[in-house]
Amino acid sequence: MSNSITAYMFLAMLLLSIGFLGVISRKNIFVIYMSIELMLNAVNLMFVALSRYNDLMSGQIIAMCIIAVATAEAGIFLSLIVVLYRRKKSLDSDIFNTLSQKEAL
Amino acid sequence: MADIVFAILAIFALVGAFGMISFHSPIHSALSFIVTILALAGIFALLSAPFLFAVQIIVYAGAIMVLMLFIIMFLNVRESNFPKEPNKFISMFFGSILLLPVNIFIVRAFLKMPEKSMEIVEDGFGNIGSLSMELFTRWLLPFEAISILLLVALVGAVVLARKEES
Repeated sequence: MSNSITAYMFLAMLLLSIGFLGVISRKNIFVIYMSIELMLNAVNLMFVALSRYNDLMSGQIIAMCIIAVATAEAGIFLSLIVVLYRRKKSLDSDIFNTLSQKEAL
Repeated sequence: MADIVFAILAIFALVGAFGMISFHSPIHSALSFIVTILALAGIFALLSAPFLFAVQIIVYAGAIMVLMLFIIMFLNVRESNFPKEPNKFISMFFGSILLLPVNIFIVRAFLKMPEKSMEIVEDGFGNIGSLSMELFTRWLLPFEAISILLLVALVGAVVLARKEES
């Protein structure tokens, strides 16, 4: 029986895990950003499934708020990427180390 | 019927997500992520959230991902500017080993939840009218807070991305 709460939660958990793996294993900042979005989507799916499970609409409202926050995040993150790429000419997350100790040494 | 639709959409979502973290080029990753977003929109429709289904397609697939693709093409990134990632699959493997105990714990917690019918309901659950009644009565303060957040993000994006004087 796939149309039960367990299947939806299982799918959300797998998507969250894939997003986490993308954040820890990739260096391309675009892919890191998309992995964060994937994790937000997984949390959205969890909220909507629980909202249907409990017959309350609050979960859907929270999911809509998360979509709005993700939109704000998209604007800020993409403008940051534009600035960083203009300065360093690279998409590698390892070279953005201006604030780390390594640069000063 | 709903089971088959759910299985197909779940497979599409997982394959798109895995392709998103495996492709080398960010354009291919973004196109693969759009597949995931559309499959998740279908799953929202299965969960009787028709308004969120529309919002997911319009805002995520329509606005965020198009902005993303626009920025990727606007930066005019060459193949040589992509970071070299020779051992990304090795770190994914070790990361999944790291995640395995956490996921087993979560699955055991999910299996304890009592079964309940998740059929699509017809009586206006999750459509625009009932959702906005809920949003503008009980959730008014978070709604206003998010509007301020969007304004701050708008100003912040303009300030960050303006032309630098050197």
